[in-house]
Order: sequence, then C-alpha cells, then structure tokens
Amino acid sequence: MLPRLLWKSLRGRRSRVALAGGALAVAAALAAALLSVALDISEKVARELRAFGANITVVPRQESLEVEIGGLRYAAAAQAAYLAEVDLPKLKTIFWGHNIQGFAPFLSAPVEAGGRQVLLVGTWFDREVVLPQGPRKFSFSSGNVREPESEGSRFRTGLRAIAPWWRVRGRWVEDLPGDAMVGKAVAARLGVAPGDRVPVRASGTERTFRVTGLIETGGPEEDQLFVDLAAAQALLGLPGKVDRVQVSALVKPDDVLAMRGRRNPQGLPPEEYERWYCSPYIDAITYQIEEAIPRARAKAVRQVAEAEGAFLGRLTLTLVLVSAIAIATAGLGVMATMTTTVMERRREIGLMKAIGAEPRQIARQFLLEAALCGVAGGGLGTVIGLLLAKFIGRQVFQVPIAPSPIVVPFVLALAVLVALLGAALPTWRAARLEPATTLKGD
Amino acid sequence: MHEIIRLQSLSKVFPGPVVALDRVSLAIPQGEWMAVMGASGSGKSTLLNLLGCLDRPTEGQILMGGTSIGELTEAQLTGFRRETVGLIFQQFHLVPYLSAVENVMLAQYFHSLADEAEASEALARVGLADRLRHRPAQLSGGEQQRVCIARALVNQPKILLADEPTGNLDEANERVVMDIFQQLHDDGHTIVMVTHDPHVGMLADRRIELEHGRLVTIHTHDLVAAAPRTADQS
Repeated sequence: MLPRLLWKSLRGRRSRVALAGGALAVAAALAAALLSVALDISEKVARELRAFGANITVVPRQESLEVEIGGLRYAAAAQAAYLAEVDLPKLKTIFWGHNIQGFAPFLSAPVEAGGRQVLLVGTWFDREVVLPQGPRKFSFSSGNVREPESEGSRFRTGLRAIAPWWRVRGRWVEDLPGDAMVGKAVAARLGVAPGDRVPVRASGTERTFRVTGLIETGGPEEDQLFVDLAAAQALLGLPGKVDRVQVSALVKPDDVLAMRGRRNPQGLPPEEYERWYCSPYIDAITYQIEEAIPRARAKAVRQVAEAEGAFLGRLTLTLVLVSAIAIATAGLGVMATMTTTVMERRREIGLMKAIGAEPRQIARQFLLEAALCGVAGGGLGTVIGLLLAKFIGRQVFQVPIAPSPIVVPFVLALAVLVALLGAALPTWRAARLEPATTLKGD
Repeated sequence: MHEIIRLQSLSKVFPGPVVALDRVSLAIPQGEWMAVMGASGSGKSTLLNLLGCLDRPTEGQILMGGTSIGELTEAQLTGFRRETVGLIFQQFHLVPYLSAVENVMLAQYFHSLADEAEASEALARVGLADRLRHRPAQLSGGEQQRVCIARALVNQPKILLADEPTGNLDEANERVVMDIFQQLHDDGHTIVMVTHDPHVGMLADRRIELEHGRLVTIHTHDLVAAAPRTADQS
C-alpha cells in the first residue's frame, strides 16, 4: 500500500512536487556543473594561465655570482657560461615532457644600434623542433618502471608560444634571419617604425635588420631588440650558445608533498619520492630539467607559480561556495514547499491519525515523498548539470569538461539529503498534529 | 445487556476556559444505537472526540470494554482507537487523490495489512461495488459518505462513532445512509451518532440531549426522562 500511496500522493499533487523537484533540480544542476568544473578545472585554468608567461627559467650552472638587470647578465666574459642550443629539445624528454607547453632560448648582449647602445636579444620566434626519439623509461628504487606516452617527433615552440600576450604593432618575426622586433622604448630612441631598417654593430661586425613589429609589454622587453637566435649568435661570435631558456610548463598547485620535495627530494622515502617525481609539481619539473640538460640550473618563477596556485585555490573555493549557496537555497525551497504541503494536507494528516496512523507512519510517508523528490530532482539536475559543465568547458575554456564518476552519486545523495533536511521540520510538525483539531478545520 | 462504554463524571474544559462537557455520566450497552443531540456548542462533538480517543478528558473517566482510556499512553491510545473505533464524519474526509477502494484500504493499511478484495467487499456492502475506482471528486455526497462508512467498518470495530453523518446530504441520500445504519444496527453494531436532525435521531434506540455541556434529557422509546447529573443511565 505504501508505494501506491506515495505514487498517488505525488501524482495527485503534481504542481507542488514539480516546485520542490524543480528547486532541487536547479540546485543539483548547479552543484553537478560547478563540481565537474571544479574537479576538472585545475588543468584547464593552468593551461589558460600558461599564456601569461613562462614559469621556469633555465640558466647555465656556474660557480661565480652573476647579476641580471633588465634582462642583461653581468658577469666577467671569461666566467660567462652558456647552454648548448642543441640540448634544448631534451626539455621534451623529461618525465613531464608532455606538460612542457613551450620554451624559448635567449642570447643577450649590449650592442650598438643606430648609433645608440641597446640590448640585443636573440631568440626563437616560432620554431619547429625535432625531438629525440626512443623509449623514455624511468626506473625507481621501488622497482617500478614508468614509461610516459611518446611526445611525437616534432614540436612547435618559441617566443610566440610562451608570450602570446605581447602586443605587437606590425607583425611577429617569422624566424627570418634578417628580421627584428624592437621594444617600444628602443623604437622611440632610434626613431624606427615597422618596415624601417636598423644597423646593428657588435664585436666589430655590422648587420642590418628589417623591423617587422614594435613590442608593447610594459616590461623590460620594451628596451630590447629581438632578432633570430642564429643571427645574434653570429653577431656576438657565440655560435650554438644560449644564456637563458624560458619554459612554460603545466603544473599543479603545491601541496604538502610538494613542499617536502622542494626542500630535499632525495631525502624523501622511496615511495614518496616516486609520487613526487611523477606529480607535475613545478619543483619536480625543474628537477627533471636539470637531470636532462647538462650544467643547467632550472629555477621556478615562484611568483607566477604561487599566483597560479592561489588563483586556482580561490577559484575552487568560489565554485564550492556558489554550489553551497545553491544547495542551501534549494533546501529552503523544499522546506517552504513542504511546509505549504503540510498546511494544505492538515486534514489528510488528521484523518490518517484518526483512523490509526502513528506519527512515525506519517513521518515516513512525508520523508519518503521528499526523498523521491530528491531522487527525481537530483537525477534531472545532474543530467542538466553535466551538460552545463560541458557547455561551460566549451564556452569558457574551449575544451569539454570531462564528467568525474564521483559527481553523479555525490550530487544525487546531496539532493536527497537536502530534500530530507528541508522536509524534516514540516514532517515533525505534521506528525504532531492533533487529529481532533485538524479534522474540525482549525 | 453487556455494557461497552461507561462515562463517569466526564468533563472537558478548553483554554479560555470554555467548559465543553460538564460532569457527564452515561453507560452504553453493546449493540445500542444512541443519538447525541443538542444545539451547536452543546458539547456533542467534544463527547464524540472523547469516545473516539481523539482527545482526552480534563476530568472523569471513560471505560471502553473495561479499558480506562485516561490511563493509556499516546501510542496505546492510537492503537486502541485503531482496534476499537470506526469513525464516520460529516465532511467525509476522504483522501482526494485516492480512489474509493484505496480510501478504504488506507484504514486497513494503518490497522494491519491492506487487502483490496476485502476493501471492495466493504464497499459492496454499502452499495458501491461499481464505484471502486472512482475518486472522491467523481462521487456524489451520498456515495462519499458510504465510502466513509465502508472505511469505518472495514477493520470490524467494536463501536461506530458518527458525527452528523447526514449533515451534508440531501433527503434521498440521507435515507440511503440511514438504511445502512439501520442494517448495521440490526447486525449488532454499537453506534453513537451525533445529530441535530430529530428525524434522524428518532431512528436511534436512545437519544440523549446535551445543553451547555450537560446531559439534560434521555429519550428511550418515546419515554422522556430528566437526566440525573451524576447517576448512570442505561
């Protein structure tokens, strides 16, 4: 009789049930969508944040103190150390090579341009790199051997990949040795504009470059003159050398393990070391870069990494708070609907009690009705929420959000819980109604 | 005849204070059809609520089949009501989203176990065999009241309590319902019926009249007696 009673009761009060179920569906949809986004957002947002610049700088390891001001390294010429350009493709062979989104080498030196001293920077603007092939196997002291997926044979990278946000008046250099881009301040000093030619002299050699674009970044780049790396190496007499590499890597925010690994990765117990090494923490990636490139020192640009971590943390917190508010609102909606229902069904409750129903039987019916509303509203809301998450992913992050398997049971359970909590007080009141009073209609 | 209900100096005072019943003493033998009469506010419905275990007296005692109602806990009172009393209301109080047979089954469900065949049989007894699947809104007033009677009867209660059972019915339906009551009485049911209709009251074995909560007259087979305030009547 109970299933029949529940079915008839819910069917007989369609509009009220739709109202309660609708409130729950909206909350469940928001919770499912925001939870899906929150669970899948770290990688998506981290990928977006990579557009705002490199988060790792690789420099040559050297004993003497080196000072860098405005992008220029100050060190005795005899002591200056360089990285080999041929080693750069190895960046994609590290365990987290897949997370290396882009990198660009730099070779900088002061030169004379148009009769004034400027900082010349040689770099790759947009270069296709041939990657070393062969199996990449990583063995750990636990005996585990891990083999990440192959990275393919070619990789397109350069300044455009790691600094797409630069404002360029004119156009980017397309790796033509005779082209250059000049910072806004340099252009003003030299009085050049896109299309003009600039003579550059260094180490007794002179070469003329054609300006393709002016750079506006608000940073030291506005005081620099950018040319193709090979042209700079030839001018400076440093073939095959680079003094700095900027790397843009997808990383996960630091946690306790990351903090412990940062201090001394080798000091971690073997299982933890393996877990640390196989997590895309920024320090694990810099560690792996130093392993891959001889005499390289990889430094995390801590401000960028920490800002990203803090931003992701705040974003997740915001999503959780919005979900909680949506769920609380739905709970109040259910409570309001159930309270109205109890008011409307006072006589029915009074009758049930008069013909022998015990308070627990009344409570059971009301709570089961609420739970069914929770299942129906939660189910509908979850489906809508997952579609909404996909929509948010496509519209906001340009990638689909993958539904996490935990979302469906979690949101369904949450919807039922909210429905039961919302129904608890009205049900308690219903179970306590006096039949003699309610049947009179008082 | 064996006595099934005994009221001893029964009073009910509502906050105010409003004295709804004032020291009513009465005994009802098993199988009797008794009509409770009186003007509005005389205490008829209060008396019926007390007999139906829907309310508790302020003073005095109700003995039903030897059980003192005042000594029962809330849960015991609910159980006692379920087992002993069948209630018939002026307003019918049918659940609007359930069919006629489901309304009867509801009483079975709260009593023990819903049995559709038995509920259908109870409706057939009141002439509604062809209205089992109709919802209350699809039934006439008389038919709704007959569903209400079937619901009250289905658990075979010892006592039937009816509050103005014909109050909302036209003359034709009143006759049908009263015929059913007559049949139930003939079958040996104990009936306590509140009514202010003298014609309906005349059908009962005995009529008592309340005035301002006091039992003032008892009519038995056309004999009228003044009711002693505290003495038992049978």
